[in-house]
Amino acid sequence: MSLVGGITLKGINAYKVEVEVEVTGGLFSISIVGLPDAAVKEAKERVRASLRSLGIRVRGRVAVNLAPADVPKEGALLDLPIAVGLAEKLGSLLLREEALFLGELALDGRVRGVRGAVPAALLARELKVPLFVSSENVPEVALVEGVEAYAVNDLQELIAHLRGEGVLNRVTRMDPSELEVTAEPDFSDIKGQGAAKRALEIAAAGHHNVLLIGSPGSGKTMLARALRGVLPPLSDEELTEVMLVRSTVGLSFENSRNRPFRSVHHTSSAVAVCGGGTSLRPGEITLAHRGVLFLDEFTEFRRDLLESLRQPVEDGNIVVSRSTGSVSYPSRVLLVAACNPCPCGWKGDPLEPCRCSPTEVERYQKKMSGPILDRIDLYVSVPRLSSRELLGLEGQQGEKSSQIRKRVCNARKIQQERWSPWGYSCNAELPEKLLRKEISLKSDVRTFLQGIASSLRLSGRGLSRVMRVARTIADLEGCDNVAVPHVSEALAYRETGFLS
Amino acid sequence: MTEHLELGNWGERIAANFLSEKKWKILEKNLRLKRGEIDIVAMDGKELVVVEVRTRTLGRILPPEATVGPQKLRKLVRSGEEYVMKNNWQGPWRIDLVAITINNDNSWDIEHITDISVGEFRS
Repeated sequence: MSLVGGITLKGINAYKVEVEVEVTGGLFSISIVGLPDAAVKEAKERVRASLRSLGIRVRGRVAVNLAPADVPKEGALLDLPIAVGLAEKLGSLLLREEALFLGELALDGRVRGVRGAVPAALLARELKVPLFVSSENVPEVALVEGVEAYAVNDLQELIAHLRGEGVLNRVTRMDPSELEVTAEPDFSDIKGQGAAKRALEIAAAGHHNVLLIGSPGSGKTMLARALRGVLPPLSDEELTEVMLVRSTVGLSFENSRNRPFRSVHHTSSAVAVCGGGTSLRPGEITLAHRGVLFLDEFTEFRRDLLESLRQPVEDGNIVVSRSTGSVSYPSRVLLVAACNPCPCGWKGDPLEPCRCSPTEVERYQKKMSGPILDRIDLYVSVPRLSSRELLGLEGQQGEKSSQIRKRVCNARKIQQERWSPWGYSCNAELPEKLLRKEISLKSDVRTFLQGIASSLRLSGRGLSRVMRVARTIADLEGCDNVAVPHVSEALAYRETGFLS
Repeated sequence: MTEHLELGNWGERIAANFLSEKKWKILEKNLRLKRGEIDIVAMDGKELVVVEVRTRTLGRILPPEATVGPQKLRKLVRSGEEYVMKNNWQGPWRIDLVAITINNDNSWDIEHITDISVGEFRS
């Protein structure tokens, strides 16, 4: 058995690839077998050049086998194991124990960073073998606890280490407790918009999906960006999940506990958002995992794209199946959508008159009335501030994001404690049946709801949405029972206020 | 013998001396095979080397190493394979180029380029 191991990625998981090398007589040539893609095939040029730079001359006919033979291998991740396997075969070193190698080679023998370092570290930990990675990947690998990883700058260093002539630096685990959350932009930077800020606080507290409706320039995008600053910081476990996803697409480590914020343009394809492609890459919804997925100009999105978001938003994972295989990606996101109230954008604006006919408005709003709107709990109006209001508020400072975040964290803790027996962590995740049973309404609230439900003609789903939001509002205030004021505030975030 | 063939023979003698000085063992000279010719076959340590010798006068502008194009290289690979098969050589082998340039003052420069095929051609 070969002791040289590499990895290949499938979804966000790494799988071990055994690298076997055979050298026979003949004119020099390298052939790589075992379903390599173009990037793996090209490894032979990089491997030969980098070994040559160390004075190791490759002679004869070289056959490299990547086992298991039936799993497609992709990317430049296998350069380093192939080089080590070849060097071992040519007698430049002798491996004593199994190890995983990960890196792309430069022609002069330097080792470049690659995507997939975090999954590789998790695999190495599971297999209990040492992992050799490029120094460029160290920040990510340092997040993984209990892995024996070494930082490699160039091939020469690595070979010296394996020969026992030099010692590579072992990657020390970075203590995630030092990581902080930064709020950029901060809620205190946003003038006015008290109602919208309050709605976003509720959204953050209960993990409710939000739709922001407002005229152009009213600050929808800025509010959405500020939302991530009031969300609770990523836990250690969530941090690893986020890093795992970022690592598989080659994004670097952000060095904070900030939740991801991904803004999707309305021209994006379903594959870009949901994941897929020939080499099966995660999409935006997976990159936003544990964070915010922001859909600006919600009405401009293609229908099929919004439809395809339904299942992953609901289930928290997405299974992408292609001819090359089928993988599951995590996709637990807080969905924030933003749109104008009408085609011209000025409906309901105090200054600018709306130029749309009622039919145009109806057609516009029909575009977004779809099953995806069922997944949205809060409908928030973001009115444009007049210039006088903007100037008048100049001196005033709103509440800091960090203060709001504290309340949000408390509310989340209450929810976690309450729902953990059923395996849920926040109000938005709760199935309707459980919600109705366990919401603990005060008796006067029951009669109030009955009256309101009949006079507003609330549907079953509409009613449970109100109850869900009311539960979060009560949690924000630390109340055990949902009271009438909580319900009446929740009623303000219904869709009927804006649509129709 | 015509002038250019004479020049070629002279170049091959120079090249053979040059390689012997390097402690290479010359096995064959001016070998004619079914698939082409090999100027020199020699042993560089444990590796068998098929050597192509190119001799040029400076009157022509092209450097000698540029005169071995892909077609000539392919021919060399085929002849090399034939030789290796015939002599049952199991170890690694390669193709080298020895380029001799004659200057105007009748002095000459010798250049040795190793492994000119580098995995480009495979049978």
